[in-house]
Amino acid sequence: MKKIGLIFNGVWSHYAVATAPKYRDLYELIYIHDLNYAAIQHLDALLIPFQSHQPALEQRKEDLYRFLADGKKIAVFGDSTPLWLDAQWEDRPVNNYWWVTDPNSPPISETDYTHPVYAGLAKPRYACWHIHGVYTRTPDRAAIIQRNDAGEIITWQTEQYGGVLFASTLDPIVEHGVQQIRHLDNYVDSLTAWLCGTKPEGRFALDPECYGVDSVAGAEMATA
Amino acid sequence: MIKALVVSNGIGGAAYYKSSDEIRYDLVEVTRDFDPDLTPYDLLVVPNGCDHVAMLKIRDQVRAFLDAGNAVLCCDGWFTNWVPGNRWIHDNSKATKDVRHFAKTDRHDLLKGVDLTKFDFEPHGMSGWWACGYIAAAPGADVLIEDTWQRAIVVLDETTTAGAIFLTASGPLGDFSFYGDADGISQLFKNVLHFLITRKTASTQELQPA
Repeated sequence: MKKIGLIFNGVWSHYAVATAPKYRDLYELIYIHDLNYAAIQHLDALLIPFQSHQPALEQRKEDLYRFLADGKKIAVFGDSTPLWLDAQWEDRPVNNYWWVTDPNSPPISETDYTHPVYAGLAKPRYACWHIHGVYTRTPDRAAIIQRNDAGEIITWQTEQYGGVLFASTLDPIVEHGVQQIRHLDNYVDSLTAWLCGTKPEGRFALDPECYGVDSVAGAEMATA
Repeated sequence: MIKALVVSNGIGGAAYYKSSDEIRYDLVEVTRDFDPDLTPYDLLVVPNGCDHVAMLKIRDQVRAFLDAGNAVLCCDGWFTNWVPGNRWIHDNSKATKDVRHFAKTDRHDLLKGVDLTKFDFEPHGMSGWWACGYIAAAPGADVLIEDTWQRAIVVLDETTTAGAIFLTASGPLGDFSFYGDADGISQLFKNVLHFLITRKTASTQELQPA
C-alpha cells in the first residue's frame, strides 16, 4: 500500500523515482495541480521535491498544514518560498563537482547523525552530494540538522505544526531520478524508511514500460 | 521574425530563452486548466524540467500545430506520449563515465561550429552530465547525435508531421553563453534556431501569391 505522497510537478525525475520498481509500491504521485486534502489524507507522509511548483504550493498551503496538524510528516527539498513555508531560502552557486576538484571538502561540514534519516548512512558523501541554496531563517522552534562550512543552515526540522516538518536544500529525489549520481539509494531509502516505516531494498532500476505512456497514475484528473 | 511560446512550470526553466530581432518568446505558465492557444506561434519550446502531464493534456493541439507546419523543440525527458512518432526512454544501464557523443546525420549543418566534447565533459571534467536515457526515434527522422552505444540522443524529425520536431534525450538546450559556453550547447541552440527561422521564412514565402 502506498504510504508517501510525492508531490509531482510533471517533471521526469520525480516520475522516475515514483515509478521505479523499488519505490512504486510505497510512493503515490500527487500531481500538484490536483493536490487537495482529500487527495492526501490517506497517506502517512508527503515528500515535496526540488523542482516543485512554488506558486501552486502556496495556493495549497492550507491543505499541507492540515496534513501536518494530523500528526503526519512532510519533507521538503530544494528551494521554497516564505509564502507557504515560514523560513527564508536563499540561492547559492551549486557546487556539484567538489568530489572531482576537492574531494575532502564537501558542501556540508556538519551533520547531526543522530537524526533517523542520517543515522544509517555509511559514508559522509551519502549525506551530502550538493546543495541548492541555504536557509537564512527557520521556524522559531526548528532543530538544525545540517550546516555548511560557513555555518549556514542546509537542513532543519520542526514539530511545531503538529506532525514533523523536515526541510533541506539537498535534492535527493531529482538526482536519484536523473541517475547521474548512483549512490542515492542510501539517502532515499533511509528517508523513505523514516517517512513511512518501510525501507526499500536493492539497487535503483527503471521500467522501460513506464516511458511513452498515455496516462499517468496520480494525474488522471488533469489529463481526463 | 518568428514567435515562440515557452512552457513554464514554475521552476525558472524559461530563463534561457531571450527575445531578439529574430525571435520573440512568450511564456505560458502551467495551471490546472492548462490549454494554451498555439495558433499565434511558429515554435513551441518545452524546456528542461517541464511538466509532461500538462503536455499530454494538450497533445492533440501540439499535433495540429505541427501538422500546420510549425515546430516543437523539446529538450527534456518526455515520459508521456505527447511527441508524435518519438519516445524518450530513461535508462541507467550504462556508466556515466563512458558516455560520449558522436555526430551522425546532419543534413542542415546544425552541428557546424559545435564542439561535441563539450557534451562529453562539463567544465570540471565530469562526463555523462548532459542527457539521460535515449530516444526511440521515428522512422525517417534524422539522428543528429548518438551516444557511445549508438543510441539516439538528439533527433530532428521532419517526416512524422508537416512540421519540425527537434528533440534531445533530456539534455538542456538554450543560450548558455552567459556561462562561457560558446561552442557547445549554445552553438547547437543557435544553429537550431537559425534553421527553424529559415525554415519558417521559406514556408511563408512559398505561401505568398505570385
